[in-house]
Amino acid sequence: MRKWQCTTCGDIYDEAIGDPDSGIAPGTRFEDIPDDWMCPTCGSTKDSFEPYTE
Amino acid sequence: MSTPIIPTELVAPIWNPASYANRDAVEQIFATLRRDYPLAMCEVPGYKPHWIVTKYKDVREVSRLDDIFHSGDISKTPASIMAEAMMAEYSGGKPHIFRTLVHMDKPDHTEYRNVVKDVFMPQNVATLKDGVLASAREFADQMADMNGECDFAETIAMRYPLQVICDQIGLPREDHATMLRLTQWFLSYADPDLCRPGSVLTDPEQQIKTWQIVYDEFKSYYTDLVAQRRAAPRKDLATLIAHGQIHGQPMDERGMISYFVIASTAGHDTTAATIGNAMWILARDPGLFSRIKADRSLISGFVEEAIRISTPPMAFVRSATQDYELSGQQIKKGDRLYVSYLSANKDEEVFDAPFAFQPDRTPNRHIGFGFGSHICVGQHLARLEMRTLWEELFERLEWVEMAGEGQWQESEFVCGPKRVPIRYKMN
Ligand code: HEM
Ligand SMILES: [Zn+2]
Repeated sequence: MRKWQCTTCGDIYDEAIGDPDSGIAPGTRFEDIPDDWMCPTCGSTKDSFEPYTE
Repeated sequence: MSTPIIPTELVAPIWNPASYANRDAVEQIFATLRRDYPLAMCEVPGYKPHWIVTKYKDVREVSRLDDIFHSGDISKTPASIMAEAMMAEYSGGKPHIFRTLVHMDKPDHTEYRNVVKDVFMPQNVATLKDGVLASAREFADQMADMNGECDFAETIAMRYPLQVICDQIGLPREDHATMLRLTQWFLSYADPDLCRPGSVLTDPEQQIKTWQIVYDEFKSYYTDLVAQRRAAPRKDLATLIAHGQIHGQPMDERGMISYFVIASTAGHDTTAATIGNAMWILARDPGLFSRIKADRSLISGFVEEAIRISTPPMAFVRSATQDYELSGQQIKKGDRLYVSYLSANKDEEVFDAPFAFQPDRTPNRHIGFGFGSHICVGQHLARLEMRTLWEELFERLEWVEMAGEGQWQESEFVCGPKRVPIRYKMN
């Protein structure tokens, strides 16, 4: 499971957690999120996200 | 469908800075608009027609669609026809006094934002923890030395975030007060207590003079600083901005001065407003105070709720670059939209009991920091600052109450309390 960061607002998409508020189940890989998904914090599109390492 | 028009007597006060001294009355206007005119046209004499966007969903949609709803073609802040004419005259035909990130569109916006973006990412802001904590302790100590009574807005709320951001920019402490003065003259130009002494709101000449003084002072101050940092780089924001490249070229003068202006104004005025209002709320609500003192895990929710309730930048104006249908209304190319963050953050359809202060509100997806590509670049720093201060204050304050009347600023754009007189016991 990996993490991704929104380069606009800094939000983290953690594949382990998903984004249940937007219907993305825990465990969903970033690649498998639908293309019309938006960053829940700032509304950026999927392509604004980069892989994130701690 | 014909375009709904909001009755003038209902909507006119939202343009007038003096209205904001009575916050409840303003909130009531927006509550009425959300119910009866959620997306409708405002045609108040002295102002060009604007759509007033009041609903959370619409505010997010407009803010997110940056290519359709531009930030840079007209004044991004609410302005009368006369003010717009004055700004154009002053700036040689441009719609803004300063051209900051807030006033830009793609591709410039992306380039300019990239200059500082990384240092404000949460993982990098986390490294500032110790410095921020030292400042929070310094201000808590000052408060403890004031014999149990102070005007919290003036002594703590306005000064602590100022110190944090000015330290980050790399400004010597003795210059911080100058930044506060210039910020207030610029953003609180209409407040009788905070405006430039001698400037009279009703006299446009005075307004232009204020801009001139503020621009010149910022310019001479920052031109020196840029020269210093180019000669001897340091680890601070001033160095980043001084070396910033835009489309492979150094920033032009107006862009650079404006960059410093946004950092040294937006970087503290907003946080000050939130901290001041949060104390005002606490000092009137002993139950809330003891609840959070007993359970500090609520501090982070307390901070989010303070931002939602306060919503310091209350509105921005956008213009449509093409026709667009928004919630059943036909927006035409060239139309102006007054986008109310204040209203969106109280939208009954999104926030239960929107006027109740609930530190445990979940979810609390407020848009106090905006939405879309202009979302506040300083949001993680702002949160760190506020959480750190409240950790200190909840640890050391035994009780707090109001010692007089609080007072809101008279400001139609960024607004917060200017007086929060409190009495307290702290160790
Ligand atoms: C509680 C504190 C704060 C609040 C409520 C706040 C609010 C906002 C909002 C609503 C915007 C969006 C403007 C738009 O839609 O055009 C914004 C942008 C911005 N804020 Fe903040 N802010 C806060 C603290 C800070 C801090 C500490 C900084 C420090 C650097 C900062 C710097 C900026 C900058 C540079 C922008 C422009 C971003 C852009 O247009 O791309 N803010 N802020
Ligand atoms: Zn985002």
